[in-house]
Amino acid sequence: MSRLSAPTSMNTKLKTLTVKSENEEIEVEERPLDFRLILRLFRYTRPHARKRNTLLAIVVVRSVQLPMLAWLLAEVIKGPIAHFKPIPDILYGALTFLAFAVFTQVVFHFRMRFAQELGEAVVHDMRRDIFTHLQALSMSFYNRTKLGRIISRMTSDTEAVRAGVQDVLFVSMVQIGQGLVAAGFMLYYDWRLFLLLLGLAPIIWGISSYYRKRLGHAYRVIQESFSRVTSTLAESVSGIRVTQGFVRQEVNARMFARLVEDHSAVNMIRAKHTGGLFSLLDLNSQLFTAALLATGGYFILVSSAGDHASQFEQYGNLFLFFAMSNLFFEPFRVLGAQYNAALTAMAGAERVFSLLDTQPDFIDPPDAIELPPIQGRVAFDNVQFSYQPDRKVLNDINFKVEAGKTIALVGHTGSGKTTIINLIAKFYLPTAGRITIDGHDITSIRTESLHKQMGIVLQINFLFTGTIMDNIRTGKPGATDEEVVEACRKLDVLDLIAALPEGFNTQVGEGGRSMSLGQRQIVCFARAMLANPRILILDEATSSVDTMTEARIQKALSVLLKGRTSFVVAHRLSTIQQADTILVLDQGWIVERGTHRQLLATGGVYASMYRKFIHASRA
Amino acid sequence: MPAPPPKSVEALRSDARSQALAGTQLPTGELVRRMLALTWKFRMGCVRAVVAQMLLLTLALSGLKLSGIGIDVIHHAISPDAPPPRWPFGFAPPGQWTAMQQVLALVTGILLFALVRVGLGYINTLLQERLVQDIVVHLRASVYDKLQRLSFRFYDANESGSIINRVTGDVQGVRMFVDGVIIQGTNLLLSLSFFLVFMLSIHKTLTLFCLATTPFLFTSALIFSRLVKPAYWTNRKLFDTAILRLSENVQGVHVVKGFARQKQEIEKFSVVNSAVKDQKQFIFWCISFFTPFTGLLTQINLAVLLFYGGYLVLAHQQDPKEGISLGEGLWVFAGLLQQFSGQIAALANITNSVQQSLTAADRVFGVLDAPVEIESKPDAMPLPRAQGRVTLENVSFGYKPEDRVLHEVSFDVQPGQCVAIVGATGAGKSTILSLMPRFYDPDAGRVLIDGHDLRDVNLDDLRRNIGLVFQENFLFSNTIANNIAFGHPSATRAQIEKAAKIAAAHDFIMAMPKGYDSLLEEKAGNLSGGQRQRLAIARALLLDPAVLILDDATAAIDPQTEHEILTAMDNAMRGRTTFVVAHRLSTLRRSDWVIVLENGRVVQTGTHDELMRIGGHYGKAAKLQLADAESIRLLGMDPADPPASTTPLAQPFEGGAA
Repeated sequence: MSRLSAPTSMNTKLKTLTVKSENEEIEVEERPLDFRLILRLFRYTRPHARKRNTLLAIVVVRSVQLPMLAWLLAEVIKGPIAHFKPIPDILYGALTFLAFAVFTQVVFHFRMRFAQELGEAVVHDMRRDIFTHLQALSMSFYNRTKLGRIISRMTSDTEAVRAGVQDVLFVSMVQIGQGLVAAGFMLYYDWRLFLLLLGLAPIIWGISSYYRKRLGHAYRVIQESFSRVTSTLAESVSGIRVTQGFVRQEVNARMFARLVEDHSAVNMIRAKHTGGLFSLLDLNSQLFTAALLATGGYFILVSSAGDHASQFEQYGNLFLFFAMSNLFFEPFRVLGAQYNAALTAMAGAERVFSLLDTQPDFIDPPDAIELPPIQGRVAFDNVQFSYQPDRKVLNDINFKVEAGKTIALVGHTGSGKTTIINLIAKFYLPTAGRITIDGHDITSIRTESLHKQMGIVLQINFLFTGTIMDNIRTGKPGATDEEVVEACRKLDVLDLIAALPEGFNTQVGEGGRSMSLGQRQIVCFARAMLANPRILILDEATSSVDTMTEARIQKALSVLLKGRTSFVVAHRLSTIQQADTILVLDQGWIVERGTHRQLLATGGVYASMYRKFIHASRA
Repeated sequence: MPAPPPKSVEALRSDARSQALAGTQLPTGELVRRMLALTWKFRMGCVRAVVAQMLLLTLALSGLKLSGIGIDVIHHAISPDAPPPRWPFGFAPPGQWTAMQQVLALVTGILLFALVRVGLGYINTLLQERLVQDIVVHLRASVYDKLQRLSFRFYDANESGSIINRVTGDVQGVRMFVDGVIIQGTNLLLSLSFFLVFMLSIHKTLTLFCLATTPFLFTSALIFSRLVKPAYWTNRKLFDTAILRLSENVQGVHVVKGFARQKQEIEKFSVVNSAVKDQKQFIFWCISFFTPFTGLLTQINLAVLLFYGGYLVLAHQQDPKEGISLGEGLWVFAGLLQQFSGQIAALANITNSVQQSLTAADRVFGVLDAPVEIESKPDAMPLPRAQGRVTLENVSFGYKPEDRVLHEVSFDVQPGQCVAIVGATGAGKSTILSLMPRFYDPDAGRVLIDGHDLRDVNLDDLRRNIGLVFQENFLFSNTIANNIAFGHPSATRAQIEKAAKIAAAHDFIMAMPKGYDSLLEEKAGNLSGGQRQRLAIARALLLDPAVLILDDATAAIDPQTEHEILTAMDNAMRGRTTFVVAHRLSTLRRSDWVIVLENGRVVQTGTHDELMRIGGHYGKAAKLQLADAESIRLLGMDPADPPASTTPLAQPFEGGAA
C-alpha cells in the first residue's frame, strides 16, 4: 500500500506555544500481514478453542443465511404477490420469512457475543502476559523505555489486536461468503443482469479504496493536529502562573485561536473526503437501480416480448436482484476497512510480542541458592561495570564492609555512586569482578531471596496510590497495623504522620504528589524500617527539605541506619559525618576512603570539597 | 480510524477526582437558554443545513417513487391483470409511448435526481462540517481566552485534567446541542413527517400496521443506551485502575524489585484485569441482544408488509381504486420502512445528546461565566517603571475564607534590598510571594508597591515590574530562545543572550547542538535542574524587573550544582528588590534581612547574624547546616564568621539594571 507523506499540519509555519521535538520517534501504525505474527496471535485463541471453533461454524451459517433471507423476501414478492395468489399463500410466505428472520437474528446474537468474548479473552490474556513479563525485566529495560510506551503496549496495541481477533477474520469470512452466495443466486437466476452488476463492482471498489486512503491520511493529520491542541492546552494550564506572571495571556490566546483554526481546517479536509465518499456510494446505488430497471426492462419488454412465462420469471428476478445486490456490494466496501484493521492489528501485535520477547539482562541460574539469613557483610572484588560496552562507569572497585557499618558514597554527578548501589541491589550484574554478600557470590543466589533481606530508599521517594498504612506495609506484606505503627514509633515520626489529614489512613496521590517532600521521605523510611533489612540502600534526596523538618529527618535517618549494613549516597553533612567509612568516588574510581576526620586531616579531594562548601555557606 | 491515544496517567487520576468537582451548576432552563442563544448566533448555518437535508430527502423519495412506478409499468405491460401505473401530479407520459420508452424516461429521471443528489449531498456535508467547525473554533477560542485570564483560585479548585477537558470534550458537547439536537432533531421530525405523510398517502391502515412496532423500537433503543452507557463508563474506570497499577508498577520499579514484591504486584494486576473482562461480559450481552433485536423488529415490519401489503396488492388488482400496487405501493413502502426504522433509532440517540450537552454546557459556561477576580480597575494607575519599594500592611489572607494562611503580616522593604523568607512547610512563605504580583488579593490589609495599593495599579504594568522564579519552573516545550523571551516575545536575540549571560546560562545553552534554537522536551526533561532554574532566572531578567521573586529556587538542586545558581542569583539580584525563599545557609547569608514565618505570622526579623545570635528556631535550624568547629579546625580554616559588612547590604543601589 503506498504511503502518503504526511505534512504535519495545514500550515507548517504556524507559531505555537509548544513545539514538538522532531527527534521523538514515531511508532508505525500499520504493518504488512505477517504469517508468523498471525500464527502467534492464533495461539492466543487456543485456550478458548471451543468458542473460536463455534464461531467459525456460525460464520459459515451466516454467510448462507443472509442471502437466503433476501431470497425469501424476493420469492414472496415475485411468487404469490406478483402472481396475485390467494391470501393463504401470501400468509405462508410472510410467515416463512418471519421464521427465518428469527433464526437469522438468533445466530447473529451468538456471532456477535462470541466474537466479542473471544476478543476480550485474548486481550485479557495478553495484558496478563505483558504485566507478568514486565516484572521479570531488568532495570536497564526500565531505564531506556518511556512509561508512555509501556502503557501503549497495554492500551492501544492490545486494542488494535482485539479488532484483529474479533472482527477481521470473522467479518471478512461472512462478507466473502455472503458475497459469493449472493453472486451464485444472481448467476443462477439471470447471468446477464449479474454481469451488469459485476461491471459496477470495480467502480465501488475504486471509489472506496481511493477515499479510504485519503481518509486514513486525514485522520492521522487530524490526530497530530489535535495532539498539538491538547499539548498546548496542557502546558497552558500547567504554566498558568508563568503566563499570568509574565503577562502573556493575549499572545497565548491569539496563538491558540490560530491553532484551533488550523485544526478545524484539517477537519474540513476530512469532511470533504467523507462527503465525497458517501455521496458517490449513494450515486452508485442509484446508478445500479437505474441500470437494473433499464436493462431488466429491456430484457423483459423487448427481448422476451411475447414469451409470457419468461417475462414473468424475469420480472420476479428484478426483486431478487434489488434485494441481493446490497449483499453482493457490501464486501467491496467492508473488506478494505477490514484489511486496514488487520494491518493495524499486525503493528500492535508486533510491538506486544517484541516486548514479550525482550529478555532480561540476566536470570538466576538454575542452581542458584536461597540466601540464608545474612549478617550483612558486603565485599566488592575488582568490580567493573559499564552500561554501554565502550564506556566504563566503574573501574576496579574494591572494598569490604563489616556487618552493621554505614558507608557514605560521595562524589560528583556521574562519579559512579548510584551505580555502586545499583550493583549491591543486584539491579545490574558487574561486567567483571565479584560482589559477595556474607561470602556468597551475588550471581549464585536467588535474586528474590536477596531482595527479601534488603531495604531500598531512593531519591524519588515513590509512593503507591493508597493509604499511608498500605504504603508502609509494602515493606513487609502481611504486617499488622500494630507493626506499622511500631516501625514509625521507632523512627519517632508518629506525630508527623498524625499531622496528616487522616493520619495513617490518608490517601496518597500517585507518586505521592499530594504530600510534601519531607513527609514522603518519612513514609519511605518507615517502609524500610518495617522491612527491617540486614542491608539498607539509601539514595538521599538532593532536594532540601525546609529547615524545620530537616532536623526530624536526620534523627529518623540515624535510627534507620543503626545496626544494619547501610550504603548511602549522601548529600547531608550529618549523614556523611556519622558514616563509618566514606568512599570518595571520581570518574568510576575510589580516590579516597576513610572517616570524615581522617579525610579532612589527609587534606585530599574530600577536604577540598568540604572547604568549598564552607566557603559557599560563608559567602 | 486510528485508536485514540492512551490517556496520560495524570489525566486518569484527575478524571477520577474531578468527578466530584461540582461546576457552577446553572439551572437546566438557563443552560438550554444559553445554548439556544448560541444556536441563534449560528442560525444561518442551521437553516442551510436543514434546508439542504430536506431537499436531499425529497430527491431520495422522488427517486424511490420513480423506481416504484417503473416496476408498475413493467408489471402492467406483462400482466393484463395488473392495473395501470399511477403517475404522480398528472405527469402521465403521452399515450403512444411504449412501456420501454416509459421505463427509459423514468430511468432518466432517477439518474437526474441522483446526479443532483451527489452534488447537493457533498455540499451539505461540507456545510454541516463548516457549521460544526465554526462553533467549535468560536467556543474553544473563547474558553481558552477566558482560562488565560481566570484567577488562581479557579486553578486551585479544578484539576488540570478537568480544565483541559472543558476546551476539548466539553466544547464538543455544547456544539452537539446545535448540530446533534437542534439540527438533527428538526431534520428527524421533518423527515419522519415526510415519511409518515408519504406512507399514509400510499395506504393508511398499512402504515398503521407496519408502524405498530415503532414504540418498541424507540423504547429498546432508549433502554439499550441507558444500560450500556453507564456500563461502559464503569468499564472505563476499571480499566483506568488497571493502567494506574501498571504505571505505578513501572514508576516504582525500584520498590517492587528492591522489596521483591513482583508476585504481589502480579496478583494485584490480575484482579483488576479480570474485573475489566468480567464486567465487559454484561456489555457484550447487551450489545449482542439489542442489535439483533432491533434488526428483528424491522424484519417483523417487513413480514407484516408482505402479508397485509400482499393482500392489498391483491385487492388492487380486483379494484384499481382499492389497495396498493406492487411497485409504487408495496416496493416503495418497503424502502420507506427501512429508512423509517433507522430514523427512530436516531431519535432515541437525541435524548442522550441532550443529556450530554447539558452536562458539557454546565462546565463550559461555568468557565465563561467565572468572574475574573483580579483585574485592573477602570481608572487604574499606569506604572511603567517601579522603584521597588514593597510594603505589607497588616495583611491577612486565606485560600479558603475559613482557613487563614497569613495573619496580619507587615513589613516594609526598601528598593534594592534582598529579603529572605524562611519557615516550615505551610508557614505561608509562598503565599506572601504570590500576593506581590497580585495572584491573589489579601482578605484584609494592603500590599503596596512604591506606596501605591496594588489594587490601584494597572495589573499588567505591575506584573511586568516583577520577575518571578518559582520553585518548580514551568518551561514550555519550545525553543530556549522563545522560553527566555516568554514575557517579551519581540525581544531581540541580543537581549535574550544578555539575560542568559547574567543568569549564567549562556555557556550551557551554547554547548547545546542548536544553541538558543534548541528545543526543550516536555517539562524540559532534557535539562538538568540547575539548567532549568537558570533559564527561569534568565526569563525573569529579560523583563529587567524592579522586583525579583525567587521562590525556593535552589530547592530541587543538589549541593554540587548549587553554586552555579548562586552566581546567577547574585548577578540577578543586583539593583533590584529581591525576595528569596530558601533553606540553604549559603542563600540565607546573602540576604539583607530575614523574615521568619511560623503558621502565617512573622515571628522573627533581623539580619542573619542577629538571628544566629538570638538563637531560637532559626538559629537551631541553621546550625544543622553549619560545619562543626572540629571540621573547620581540621581543615585549618578561620573559625570566625565573616563580618556582616561583606554582605550586599551596603550596596543596595550599586550596579544598574541589566
